[in-house]
Amino acid sequence: MNHTSDAPTAENGGDFDPQQAAALLDQTTQRARRTFQSSPPLLIAFRAVVVLGAFGGIWLSVRGQHPYTGPQGWAIGIAYALVGIVIGWSSVAMKRAAAGVSGPAQRAKNLGIAVMLAAWVAVYVFMAALDHAGASHAIVFGLYPATAPLMIVGLVAAANSAGREDWMMAGNCLAIALVAMAAAFGGPVGAWLIMAIGLCAVFLGTAAVTVWQQHRSVVQP
Amino acid sequence: MTGALEGSAAFDPVIHKPVRLRIVATLAALPEGDALSFTRLQDMIGLTPGNLIIHLRKLEEAGYVSSEKTRNGSAPKTTVVLTSQGRAALDAYTRSLRDLLNL
Repeated sequence: MNHTSDAPTAENGGDFDPQQAAALLDQTTQRARRTFQSSPPLLIAFRAVVVLGAFGGIWLSVRGQHPYTGPQGWAIGIAYALVGIVIGWSSVAMKRAAAGVSGPAQRAKNLGIAVMLAAWVAVYVFMAALDHAGASHAIVFGLYPATAPLMIVGLVAAANSAGREDWMMAGNCLAIALVAMAAAFGGPVGAWLIMAIGLCAVFLGTAAVTVWQQHRSVVQP
Repeated sequence: MTGALEGSAAFDPVIHKPVRLRIVATLAALPEGDALSFTRLQDMIGLTPGNLIIHLRKLEEAGYVSSEKTRNGSAPKTTVVLTSQGRAALDAYTRSLRDLLNL
């Protein structure tokens, strides 16, 4: 910090009255919250549409199957394409929010993402093990992939977020895990539909809470 | 408004300046202990580097922010973090605003 030649202008450094100060404090805080938000409300709302499309599409492809054989190729293709778009958008949003930010919370967040990815891989390895053990299609291609990944990864992410005292994220991840637990009682077909509707509701709720949080006043209690 | 202006004398003079309030509020939006690069802070506040340095120096003298210079390859990189003292000062300032504006 060697440059000291620029003198502060009256606008930059001058005094101001408390009402202006309160307005400026609110405005600056809200803007900073939006800038550092790695999951903007629009992205969260898009996730709601994606889970509805992906899980709903799979449900459409499996309903009426007797015996249950599993999701059809077109539904899996749509689901992967939608998830791919969400991952791409999320990566860009996270990178933008974290630009220039460093420190313990940022490191913990990155570590949390790594743990979540590891949990995700473990879930699918276990799915392969179930298939290898001769479990029925209703389990290996129905109940398990519909509910277990988000139940386990949701709980891991909730624990990680609680450790970082990110209560909003912890609540969101816990809600996802709870929806998955409830969906597990829906059977191999019904589980996909419960996941579609339940997760869509969770994401829409999260988007609404995020908008409220971003616009919440710092000065007014 | 006169009463409010009189009351402003009770505010922390280090924070009760538009630019410094914006700097502190921006850094306070990060989780405790996280730092922001000088260039990103400059982008967000919209000041010239020299002007920002002047205000950061005032905040640093009060113990409200600390800065660290590191080398990222050949380019030096400066990061700024709000100290716990700075966070407490902003909390006290916000409470004073609330009291004064009867919120």
